Amino acid sequence: MKFIINREQILSPLQQIVSVIEKRQTMPILSNVLIVIENNTLTLTGTDLEIQIIAKLDIDPAEAGAITLPARKFLDICRLLPNQADIKIERQDDKIKISSGRSRFSLSSLPAENYPKFVETEFNNQFVISARKLKKALEKTVFCMANQDVRFYLNGLLLNISNQKLKMVTSDGHRLAIYEDVLEQPTGYEARIVLPRKGVVELARLLDDSDTEIKIEFSANNIRLYINNLIFSAKLVDAKYPDYAKVFNQPFLNTILVPKQLLKETLSRVAILSNEKFKGVSFDITTDSIKISAHNPEHEEAEEECLCEYSGDSLSIAFNIQYMLDAVSNLNSDMAALNIAANASTCFIEEPEEQAYKFIVMSMRL
Amino acid sequence: MAVAHHRKIIHIDMDAFFAAVEQRDSPQYRNQPIIVGGSPFSRGVVATCSYEARQYGIHSAMPSAHAYRLCPQAIFVKPRFEAYKAASNHIRKIFAAYTELVEPLSLDEAYLDVSAAEIFQGSATLIAKDIKATIKQQVGLIASAGVSYNKFLAKLASDMDKPDGLYLITPAQGPEFAEKLPVNKFHGIGKVTAAKMQALGIHTGKDLRELSLAALQQYFGKSAAHYYDICRGVDHRPVNNHRVTKSVGVETTFQQDISSREEILRHLQDLLEQALQKAADKQLSAYTLTVKIKFHNFVQITRSRTLPHTVTQAYGLLEELIKNTGVGESSVRLLGVTLSSLQGELIEQRFQQMDLFRDF
Repeated sequence: MKFIINREQILSPLQQIVSVIEKRQTMPILSNVLIVIENNTLTLTGTDLEIQIIAKLDIDPAEAGAITLPARKFLDICRLLPNQADIKIERQDDKIKISSGRSRFSLSSLPAENYPKFVETEFNNQFVISARKLKKALEKTVFCMANQDVRFYLNGLLLNISNQKLKMVTSDGHRLAIYEDVLEQPTGYEARIVLPRKGVVELARLLDDSDTEIKIEFSANNIRLYINNLIFSAKLVDAKYPDYAKVFNQPFLNTILVPKQLLKETLSRVAILSNEKFKGVSFDITTDSIKISAHNPEHEEAEEECLCEYSGDSLSIAFNIQYMLDAVSNLNSDMAALNIAANASTCFIEEPEEQAYKFIVMSMRL
Repeated sequence: MAVAHHRKIIHIDMDAFFAAVEQRDSPQYRNQPIIVGGSPFSRGVVATCSYEARQYGIHSAMPSAHAYRLCPQAIFVKPRFEAYKAASNHIRKIFAAYTELVEPLSLDEAYLDVSAAEIFQGSATLIAKDIKATIKQQVGLIASAGVSYNKFLAKLASDMDKPDGLYLITPAQGPEFAEKLPVNKFHGIGKVTAAKMQALGIHTGKDLRELSLAALQQYFGKSAAHYYDICRGVDHRPVNNHRVTKSVGVETTFQQDISSREEILRHLQDLLEQALQKAADKQLSAYTLTVKIKFHNFVQITRSRTLPHTVTQAYGLLEELIKNTGVGESSVRLLGVTLSSLQGELIEQRFQQMDLFRDF
């Protein structure tokens, strides 16, 4: 195997691949990147057995072959070579020689035959979505996804397709984000799958704001996305996502409208003196005013009144201030609309004009 | 009048507590080498042994089987925790008659701050002597007492002429005392830090004193200030009569090593339930769960997870924690479960986070 590639061509796909490779590996070969040359195409593959990224690059005519290399070292070499450098990669017995300009490296390798195969079942569903839309949908939901929750299905994202309707939901049990959109084309099927947390986070990093169409294929076990010259695959979470619909079917009080920036700043100030662990703060809501107050175990207190638009009964309710801040910060409008359930269990945070996304924060019992 | 006000701290440490309770309750055990702990034919360890047994080189935490080899005529007794608990409660009642500032460290150890006591004209040494006599008369057990002007020195003092000791370290003697002490005897300096100090050529309090606070900070970070103080015989820690429980744990050593993953999970689940019960008894709930596994070759690992909510039953989590640990491959001799990041349920009720999937 022998080929030459320009640094700029290989660097970004290599970086994307290395980011899925876990630093601590049970199988040494999983720290490696698989390199295959065939028909003037260079294929790079990295996996942690849960997700896999494949990059396909066109190269000048080269000697075919397949090998695996320590991924991080290979990336660091490419990264630290000068801009536009041509990098020559050549196999010599069980070593890989890398040379560029006056630099010479000899890397250890492991045989390509030993590289584990990423098992995928046959894909029976597919749809397309633009990179920009998918990126936005992920951005507006990722922050509510649970991390290392015992209810492992919460450490993931629910993707629900109902003919032409797309729904994405994340929740850590204390809050929930929901994104709803309409696909360009009807799909003719109904499906609910759960993408694993790491896959969602990696995927969000691979997308840009372009109109590029992304083809998505999935089965009950796997999902695969084609993003330009990358193929992203992930194993799905094998569990049913819990039913969250009940939260929508309850009576609500009148909408509270607050200038978003003001609310965000108020929350940030009051948060300083909230209990570091529980982050609980009280909202005392009266006609046209929200008083937000916090105190901590050191008996320090913060209080700030925020003018708003609200007519209705007064109420007191408590929230984790971090959850509130995260939700409010993710609104793009000038005003924030808060809809509190009549039983004070739940607060919907959304934009006054209906948007594709909305956030729900569960209250804290006072 | 510019008189430096020194505190008066007494450290009471019961001599061979468990063994002494056994010898008190069973006359045939008196003057015999008594070992309280696991059976020598099982995997248990020595919890406490009588002074007669100590002459054979037996000490606590030693495997019972080893103790048996050292002294085959020793009498092995199974622990009776109710009896120890009762004796301990009795002793604590006695303390309460002298001061309300009592900080129990375990069943058989406590600090007392008697700075404000008026009996015996406030003489801490006489108070200590009286406490020892009262314990002997009412509970039938022997205690050693250390008297000094802070906790660290009082604890050192109680160890000075054990058993049945009473030792005073005066404010004038304190700094010299600390100077001569090997670093591993200092409060807050454990095995790892002691080894680090040895490597730096610091062997005694005197060596430690030669370092500036800045130098100490460079090597030991946050703990530097405490080290700077204690090597000068200074320890500001108050006697804390409302100690907060930081963790609750249970562990068990198996008669025979176990190797099946399912069996290990079942035991962990059992231990977790016991730990949760213990926490519930103290009206606490925990956010952190730690699993301890000791393999047959004595290699010990711990795996820990802090949850966004309190730990309840957590079969899935236990399974997750023992992933990639070698469980199922190597056999296991000991398992333990510890709950920490504890919160009183009262605070819990003040602001309880509602859950979308549980509270609907």
